[in-house]
Amino acid sequence: MSVDRMMIRYPTLVAAATAALLALPAATAAPPSPQAAYTAMSPEELADYLIFEAGGFDLEAGTQTGGTARERMVQDRTQKVCSAIARAGAQLDRATAAKISALADASIVLPEDGLKLGDWQRGEAVARSGFGYRIGHNPDDHDSQPPGGNCYACHQLDPNETAYGTVGPSLTGYGRLRGTSEPMLKHTYQILYNAHLFFPCTTMPRFGHHGTLTPEQMADVMAYLLDPESPVNQDLPQTVEADAAAQD
Amino acid sequence: MLRLTLCAACLAACLSTVVLADSQWRAPEEVLQALIDDNESAYLTQSEQNIMMMPDNAALWVAEEGAALFSEPRGPNNVSLETCDLGKGPGVVDGAYVELPRFFADTGRVMDLETRLAHCMTTIQGFSADDPEVKTRHGSDSDMMKLQTFIAYRSSGLPWNPPLEHPLEQAMRDAGEALFFRRAGTSDFSCSTCHGQSGKRIRASVLPSVNEPHEWSKAISWPAYRVGQQEVRSSNHRIRGCYWQMRQPQSISGSDAAIALMSFWTDAARGQPAILPDKKR
Repeated sequence: MSVDRMMIRYPTLVAAATAALLALPAATAAPPSPQAAYTAMSPEELADYLIFEAGGFDLEAGTQTGGTARERMVQDRTQKVCSAIARAGAQLDRATAAKISALADASIVLPEDGLKLGDWQRGEAVARSGFGYRIGHNPDDHDSQPPGGNCYACHQLDPNETAYGTVGPSLTGYGRLRGTSEPMLKHTYQILYNAHLFFPCTTMPRFGHHGTLTPEQMADVMAYLLDPESPVNQDLPQTVEADAAAQD
Repeated sequence: MLRLTLCAACLAACLSTVVLADSQWRAPEEVLQALIDDNESAYLTQSEQNIMMMPDNAALWVAEEGAALFSEPRGPNNVSLETCDLGKGPGVVDGAYVELPRFFADTGRVMDLETRLAHCMTTIQGFSADDPEVKTRHGSDSDMMKLQTFIAYRSSGLPWNPPLEHPLEQAMRDAGEALFFRRAGTSDFSCSTCHGQSGKRIRASVLPSVNEPHEWSKAISWPAYRVGQQEVRSSNHRIRGCYWQMRQPQSISGSDAAIALMSFWTDAARGQPAILPDKKR
């Protein structure tokens, strides 16, 4: 970053930094970024400075989509607002919630040929796979396998799967409880695409908005959730005791 | 069996000569058991096997190697690290780690243990930053992990107590908090996505919550022997792994961003006893 650009973005920082450098005895090695200036910044400004200007991350690395790692750290409006609210431990006020929801609504593109359930078996593979989009010291090679949705990291789905996360709500019996009407297909697709529409500042990733799942993959995940044949919508497994009782 | 007992006694003698005098120092397995006894936590109790194996933690042997390395004359200057100031005065190791990161007047910077060690190895022992002794940061066989594990061990049982009196310490802690909650990337994740709620799981793993200091103390108790990796790992290694899972860029060890994050996370465990070294999944 040039001094000119720094002057524009952090005028106080540059002044303080210059003063700090002048005050240092020549024998002291000048640190890569003079910390003396940090106290002039807000916590968010300093966090951004540490990321983008002070070598906190390998920002020049490539990504699976042909961009650079730096782009991954640039926050959009939704990320910025929801981060600040979480940090403050504040309740989302109605006006902000409505704005986040409206941003989500504007981001959603429904399939031109209508919403259809895909293949629940392919959807199950997407739900189970945590592969994809990791960069840095061990980048995921999307040519070796397709990226997944990692649904099981946070949600219970198939009642027979015990290794499920609890950060999100249980989705076991999702389709059995809701049916497969057109509005329910649309509702489910919208959640997968950008869940902030119904749950502003949710922790759930925006799979459609970021393009981390394709429309086909989302249709397959919809099938895993809604198809009556999907394991998600089967009854809970019979226990040994229940089987024995049934035979008596 | 006799040999093993003798070795264990020797290890305890080697590492604890000085610290036994300090009434606050406690063996890591005792610290963990006390936390489990005093708190209801699925996170603390999730691996019965790891709890059982704490007294035989392989990281204890890495700490012993670090103790020898610390007092051995090394580097171009052929001197030991016994004049290294880790924040409590030259050569003071006991209780130094639980008071890091902190501001160091001689560099004008807030530094974490790893950064301060690298500073001592270059300025006192004369190593260059590119020498493997300084540059290799990962793995139980690295000098860096041996030294870090030894220094941390001598703070076991002591309450986390990073100073915040200096304005830079406060600024770094606050920036670390902003980083912790900062959502970005293709999955909109931040550290708080996984560590902001109590009693939640990712798949089958129970997550520690930043809001539960007794859990958070174990979460930040690095170095720790990671059973799945069969290596002793550092705070910086944990940060790198979390950013990788978050689909964000690689965190750089020794950067002010990493130090800021550690300033926040250590403050979040303030007052809780450190488990050093720990054993994790």
